[in-house]
Amino acid sequence: MRVQLSWEDPIAGEQQEIVCTVPIVLGRHPEKQLSDRQEQIFSQIKLSSQQVSRLHTIITYSGGQLLLEDRSANGTFVNGHKVLQSSCAISNGDTLQIGPYLIHLIVLSRSSSNIEVTNQPTIIDTSTVVERRNSSESSLFNEESFVLKPSYAERIQALSLPKAFSAHQVPLEELRAGVYLSNYEERDFVVVGGGIGSFTFVNTLRIAGVNLDRISVIGRGEPQPYGRYQLICRNSQIPDYERLRSGSDSCPDNIWGFPGYAIREAWRECFTKGRLDHSLKLLWMVFSEPALSDTYTPRSGDVFAAMEREAKRIGWYEIWRSGHVRAIRKTTDDRYVVAYLDPNSRTESPTYKYLVARYVYLSTGYTNVRFLDDLQEYRHRTGDTTAIVNAYENHEHVYDKLMKRGGIVILRGEGIVASRILQRLYEARKYHSQIKVIHLVRSEKTESNRFHLARRYRENGWEFQPFNWPKGTWGGDMRSRLETAGPAERAQLLRDWGGTTTANRRDWQRIVREGIQQLWYERVVGIVKQVDRDEIGRLEVCLQRRLAGSEEILKADFIIDATGLTAKPIEDPLLGDLVKFYNLPLNPLNGLHVTNSFELEKMRNGKGRMFAAGIMTLGGPYAPVDTFLGLQYVAQRAVAKLVQTRAKGVHSILGLRSFSQWLKWATNQRP
Amino acid sequence: MTPTLLGRWQTRLFLLSTVGAIVSTPFAFAIIGSGMTWGYYWVLLYVFLFGIAWDYLYNFLQQLMWDHDWPGLFQLASAIAEGLLLAGMIKFVGLPHIPQEFPLQWFALHYTLVWLASYLLSWVIMRLLFPHWRFRGGEWLGKW
Repeated sequence: MRVQLSWEDPIAGEQQEIVCTVPIVLGRHPEKQLSDRQEQIFSQIKLSSQQVSRLHTIITYSGGQLLLEDRSANGTFVNGHKVLQSSCAISNGDTLQIGPYLIHLIVLSRSSSNIEVTNQPTIIDTSTVVERRNSSESSLFNEESFVLKPSYAERIQALSLPKAFSAHQVPLEELRAGVYLSNYEERDFVVVGGGIGSFTFVNTLRIAGVNLDRISVIGRGEPQPYGRYQLICRNSQIPDYERLRSGSDSCPDNIWGFPGYAIREAWRECFTKGRLDHSLKLLWMVFSEPALSDTYTPRSGDVFAAMEREAKRIGWYEIWRSGHVRAIRKTTDDRYVVAYLDPNSRTESPTYKYLVARYVYLSTGYTNVRFLDDLQEYRHRTGDTTAIVNAYENHEHVYDKLMKRGGIVILRGEGIVASRILQRLYEARKYHSQIKVIHLVRSEKTESNRFHLARRYRENGWEFQPFNWPKGTWGGDMRSRLETAGPAERAQLLRDWGGTTTANRRDWQRIVREGIQQLWYERVVGIVKQVDRDEIGRLEVCLQRRLAGSEEILKADFIIDATGLTAKPIEDPLLGDLVKFYNLPLNPLNGLHVTNSFELEKMRNGKGRMFAAGIMTLGGPYAPVDTFLGLQYVAQRAVAKLVQTRAKGVHSILGLRSFSQWLKWATNQRP
Repeated sequence: MTPTLLGRWQTRLFLLSTVGAIVSTPFAFAIIGSGMTWGYYWVLLYVFLFGIAWDYLYNFLQQLMWDHDWPGLFQLASAIAEGLLLAGMIKFVGLPHIPQEFPLQWFALHYTLVWLASYLLSWVIMRLLFPHWRFRGGEWLGKW
């Protein structure tokens, strides 16, 4: 008997699909509970999570029936019903929840028992293998226009690298011999990527005492460090007056986190607008969050304005340059050489420019936006890009039409962007009451995540959390726990703490409740088989509610895909090249393997050091790598490492030095 | 800032010995309060010593919450509990170096001011002197 088990990795988000022979054991370490004889018979599936028992569940086949036996501490959920320390019959199309894993079961063959013996048992270990079933479920960003089209970066891949770059250590004399003098420069620090991750590093480095002439930043698109983030925010319905899902003291413009955004906003409310009540309310919020009030979150516009001030203060715009980095190599003199193209260069044939530096900091951010297969397929087939949109594209036309004529919207995704879009649709309903939202999810968990004695709050299918990771992962016990864990345990912890959540805003919870009561919001669990257009041009979604169940047709006017952003270093042209060329190790979640100081150890080149920050390091020593505060953390760790290795002119930011630098921040003077 | 156990102890030590000591001085030298006594400094010491045990409890309770956070409101509640226990100990059990007739209203004022100053200044001085403090769960000693 062969069955297919499929699930989405709770943290990497990738769809995994395996075929194996029954009997099957599922657990954290099933092999430890099996005898030698059993090991030869059972297919083993290792699920990496502390909510999963060592030997959690056994699936057997006898008397023409598949049987599930639970042997765990927390139980197995079969189609939402708890099975604990007992057995039940299961069949084709059932859904099993084991810890954070939601596994779909499909029976492939009911062949006679003699085939079972010849089939080899399979061993799948999720702590080391993340199988990529389908890598097309994402589209590369176009950095210039933020629309889903092949980008400049893809086109420049065709341009070949100089011959010297084929060596593991590039001899600089050879490189310089064939290059115009104006195309070759040297610095001490080169920062690759022009976003918030790079900005926090440059900010920390400047405060640690490094002068402007020693640093260069190579970015894409606009020079503003928050430019791309701001655009993504606006497209995904967070204009400047809306609030970000970020804490008061997560200030990318201030390495100390004081004064936080709540205090600054309270100050402005009180002294420039004269609204003492607003001001006190904000201060009460930071004191009583999250127990008595919603968590304070800053307005995106205020954060961008603060970053703009800081960018000017530290001289960011003087060291920023536009460029597409094509490749990075070690040099023979303990440094690195970065080859990049200037997209603004007017020359007929583009030529590489080179920057050589002792220290390189990589922070290129999210490269891809997730776009579900079925939706991409529809867009390719029909050429219609207005009915099905990605939340990160500009899609104002959707709301314009809905406010005029009403309609049905299918919303995909369960995170913060989905919440914000739901709020926008709720607001649109004030203009046209005939707007209906179908919230389509692939599968539904029965229980929310659990970690030891604590459980995440869940309501109407949404999971709530103030920020995108539990708060203790930024600087509390969860941070130190993750840092001291080994690679496999890290993957376990991240799966237990991670997963898609939305902000625990009371207004959002109320909108969902209202929507359910007033019947304009409905949550539907099912898998999309095909998307088409009917004769009057409406979308027709062919949906299968249960895996083996019958299909049905949903009609809709728009589909909004808010399933998020993704970044896989290996799929990124620059990082992929680096990983392959220097054979860099990846962590169990396919992120770049970094040390606790976020150094790429294998890239060490004598005194030269290379660091990586942001989402490319997900799966390593720190969970919230893609957040404001997380990026500040990484910058601080990297600079501390530079101090430790006695990098020239880099001072420890501590005590009086720290305080005097803060005074300069407060009075807006150069560091 | 979400504290770790070690961070709680270290921050408690730092704030009591700096902010706490400064706030206690006008009380100890009878500029405010019941007269000259070292008792106020001893109060600080007992807040620290009992605190070592209290922090153990807080650290356990923190694990029960999904976010492992310790919000401001909880800090206030824990300060009240600690203050009540300390007052009870002084009045009914007796603590070395603090006279049992220690005036409770002055104890309450002193204790409240120390807590308030420590709470508010933990946002400022800890962060400005030790930028790594908030990322290390309150551990200001040592570097990365």
